[in-house]
Amino acid sequence: MNTVTEINLLGLGLGLLLLLIPLFVLYKCRTGLVHSTLSATARMIVQLWLIGLYLQYLFAYDVWWVNLIWGIIMTFVATGTAIQRTRLNPKMLGFPMFVAFLISAILITLYFIGLVQMEQSVFTARYFIPIFGLLLGNMLGVNVLALSTYFEGIRREQQMYRYLLGNGATLWEATLPFLRQAIVKAFNPCIANMAVMGLVAMPGTMIGQILGGSDPSTAIKYQIIIVVITFVASMISLMVTIVIAQHRCFDAMGRLKQIAVN
Amino acid sequence: MLQISNLSINYDGKSIVNDLSFLVRRGELVCLQGKSGCGKTSILNCIMGFTPYTGSITMDGKLLNESTVDELRRLVAYVPQELALPQQTVREMVYLPYQLKANRHSQPSEDTVFEEWKRLNLDASLMDMSASAISGGQRQRIMLSVAGLLGKSLMLVDEPTSALDSDNVQLVLDYFRFLAASRNMAILVASHHQEIIRGCDMVVRIEGTMNHKTRESHEYGD
Repeated sequence: MNTVTEINLLGLGLGLLLLLIPLFVLYKCRTGLVHSTLSATARMIVQLWLIGLYLQYLFAYDVWWVNLIWGIIMTFVATGTAIQRTRLNPKMLGFPMFVAFLISAILITLYFIGLVQMEQSVFTARYFIPIFGLLLGNMLGVNVLALSTYFEGIRREQQMYRYLLGNGATLWEATLPFLRQAIVKAFNPCIANMAVMGLVAMPGTMIGQILGGSDPSTAIKYQIIIVVITFVASMISLMVTIVIAQHRCFDAMGRLKQIAVN
Repeated sequence: MLQISNLSINYDGKSIVNDLSFLVRRGELVCLQGKSGCGKTSILNCIMGFTPYTGSITMDGKLLNESTVDELRRLVAYVPQELALPQQTVREMVYLPYQLKANRHSQPSEDTVFEEWKRLNLDASLMDMSASAISGGQRQRIMLSVAGLLGKSLMLVDEPTSALDSDNVQLVLDYFRFLAASRNMAILVASHHQEIIRGCDMVVRIEGTMNHKTRESHEYGD
């Protein structure tokens, strides 16, 4: 089955033509989103084209340390995006997030390539870069939602937080209810998605593999493992961020530093 | 049990409390009295290490600082003003502090809780009710009973009667006196309720930043 149907420029153009439908709706409903949709589409095309060119060189060159540096650069960008979206203080949370993203992405990527795929060279660009990027993308979404919920919860429910501390809780015990809320909010969609995968939603990795010419049974195995590793990497990254953040964002009296949240 | 010496609190350069000193002994009921916004809650927050201050706070002879704060908080049972916990049921509310490592050893049986509730005119049927279905007054009395059962040596209570009618205020006062006398607890209550003020062993009156006076409404000795 390993044949890929190439999309030529005409096909790509015809595909993009479909955007006229949502653009028409956005225009008619006076949403003010027409310009931003066009701009976002243009940015997407240019960015993906550039990254495609870059990846071609990266795959051809395929040196482990270049791949690793590329991974670190992606982690920087992911950390910056997460900080921007959560509106958390970069000085306080930039480092914990960066460390958490990097550690969990590297660990799980290497586990996947080395132990699951059983590849000899774990830093092979063709596997390392896409898996690393996939994990970062998922970690980003989960961490943004979880950290916003966590810090917002502590800030909003100061009375509850202080009630626990004032009755003998350790910092970990006093923050645990907020961590619980954050985990539930961030991971509930992942769990719900897993439950309906293949029935309601056709997963992206599987579709991509099938369109790329893989056998469905291979695509399914990849899909299962991809779901598992994104779930695990997101959980590890969140826990590492929280553990480091607790040391940096709370003072010795258990007070959330004002500068922790913008 | 609790010694406050030369306590001053400032917020954004503005003095809230200035040079306040007082002592709360075990078995004593002491009231922090003053108008709303005078700094009563801030003083309680300082005692628990939540609010920065100058001066010194000692509990059982130990100075409150960064290295002792966890240990000293374990001596305290704290009831904030009109606390609304996000717990779903009254049972979860009651047993929440007993999930903490510091309090697990003192988890009371349901019968013990109900015995305590009788002192505060609370019915046992409340235990299985939804937390949102009980009144503010019931909630306040439940939280007081929880603090009373924690078996701590110091109890800090912020406006315990804000949602209570006068009959229940008397019940709460009697409960404080019972805890102080029978369980040898030191109790510091922030309140502007006259019945509570009259019933305390000592009143610390907070009358603005430059003028703090203490008044002993009962004989106050060693």
